Amino acid sequence: MNFLLSFLFAAFDSRNDASLIDKLKRRDPQGMSELYDRYGKLVFSVILRVVKDSSLAEDLAQETFLRIWNRAQFIDQEKGSLGPWILAVARNRAIDYLRSVDGRMAQKSTEFDPAVEQPSSFINLERDVINSDRARVLREAFTKLNPNQRIVIEMAYYEGLSQTEMAERMKQPLGTVKTWVRTALRILRNELEEVVSV
Amino acid sequence: MSAPDNNLRDLYELYALGLLEEPEKSQIEAELQAASPEARKRMREALENNAILMANVPLVEPPSTLRNRVLAVTGVEKKNRAWMAVFATAFAGLAAAFFIYSDARSKGVEIENARALLQQMQVESAKTNSELARARHVLSFLNAAETKVVTFGPKDPKPPRGRVLLHPDRGVLLIASNLPPAPSGKIYEMWIIRKNAAGAMEKPVPAGLFQTDNAGNGIHLQEGAVPLNAIIAVTLEPESGSSEPTTTPLFAAGA
Repeated sequence: MNFLLSFLFAAFDSRNDASLIDKLKRRDPQGMSELYDRYGKLVFSVILRVVKDSSLAEDLAQETFLRIWNRAQFIDQEKGSLGPWILAVARNRAIDYLRSVDGRMAQKSTEFDPAVEQPSSFINLERDVINSDRARVLREAFTKLNPNQRIVIEMAYYEGLSQTEMAERMKQPLGTVKTWVRTALRILRNELEEVVSV
Repeated sequence: MSAPDNNLRDLYELYALGLLEEPEKSQIEAELQAASPEARKRMREALENNAILMANVPLVEPPSTLRNRVLAVTGVEKKNRAWMAVFATAFAGLAAAFFIYSDARSKGVEIENARALLQQMQVESAKTNSELARARHVLSFLNAAETKVVTFGPKDPKPPRGRVLLHPDRGVLLIASNLPPAPSGKIYEMWIIRKNAAGAMEKPVPAGLFQTDNAGNGIHLQEGAVPLNAIIAVTLEPESGSSEPTTTPLFAAGA
């Protein structure tokens, strides 16, 4: 547990983000090496959680780093936050893959808005956004969710399902699912905000 | 400027994940476009919360090959190797010069050896630079907006797996994994199978030979125009290559 906390702390320690972003913007090879050393394990783990296949996760992690490398010039060196951005890109690559395999993309039920992973969106986020207190609180908050709330949160984050798709999957009315999602997110946010306000 | 709708407060995380549907999606976009400080604050918090939630996964050590793959595809490793080759060439040159200066008269044969070594290093350097140029070409191919990506093998119980990227002007890029190195005397050959106006498949056209590494990874680029609806197939052929497939395709990908 301590290892996880320390890893998260280190992984999201953005004090050095500015220097790393500078290297990436200059296409300094050392920057890519540092980027992988800092986020490689986490990126792979997030993707693996989504696709549940190590070989695929390796392919998609490679795509994730390529995308970051190609778009690094668009991130703000002073205000940009690499951790949340690279996590969003990693998750979206994995969810895109799931959608392409099960045909959801062809049905156009829900498509990613490219704006949600634009580097320009990831500015002015809290530095050191995931500190050990917040990570701990999150895990505790998860235990406060009831089973249905936990399921819909996992469906959203790790399967990329919209609320309509969740309702179809769970054979529940859309309104019921929307309530579960809203309530779950509110519980989690309130717990996190309590940490911030302390 | 109107205050953001409190009923939307709980939905910013879903919006930031790209999962929010209408009408709430447009409502949040309108709040953000109105440049409301509260809406922007909600979006920042949603991105932070999403990062925390996504990071709440069991950490798994990636395969040792991933680091090299990441650095190789971006050209970093090639670039490092190119610099190493440049330094090695320079070092060899200096060493040869020193050698020549100190003992030129009595060691003519060794001077020739040093020159040969220098030439060899220069050839290596040129080769590495060629690989670097190829890596850059692959990178630009991947980056092109017109490039179409087709995945193959995801549902197969056994590999190979990978992606085929087609660009109407630049050609075909194959990225395969779990493809064991071809046995001795054999090599992989890629084929482009075009479709006629009626949609029927035409005769396969050879599209280059390639080999995979020990980890089963292979990248092969065939330059030239290719229709985006073409089928890309790979067969195992004699190492000199074939003008038409002689074995059953290991996989085929395309629209």
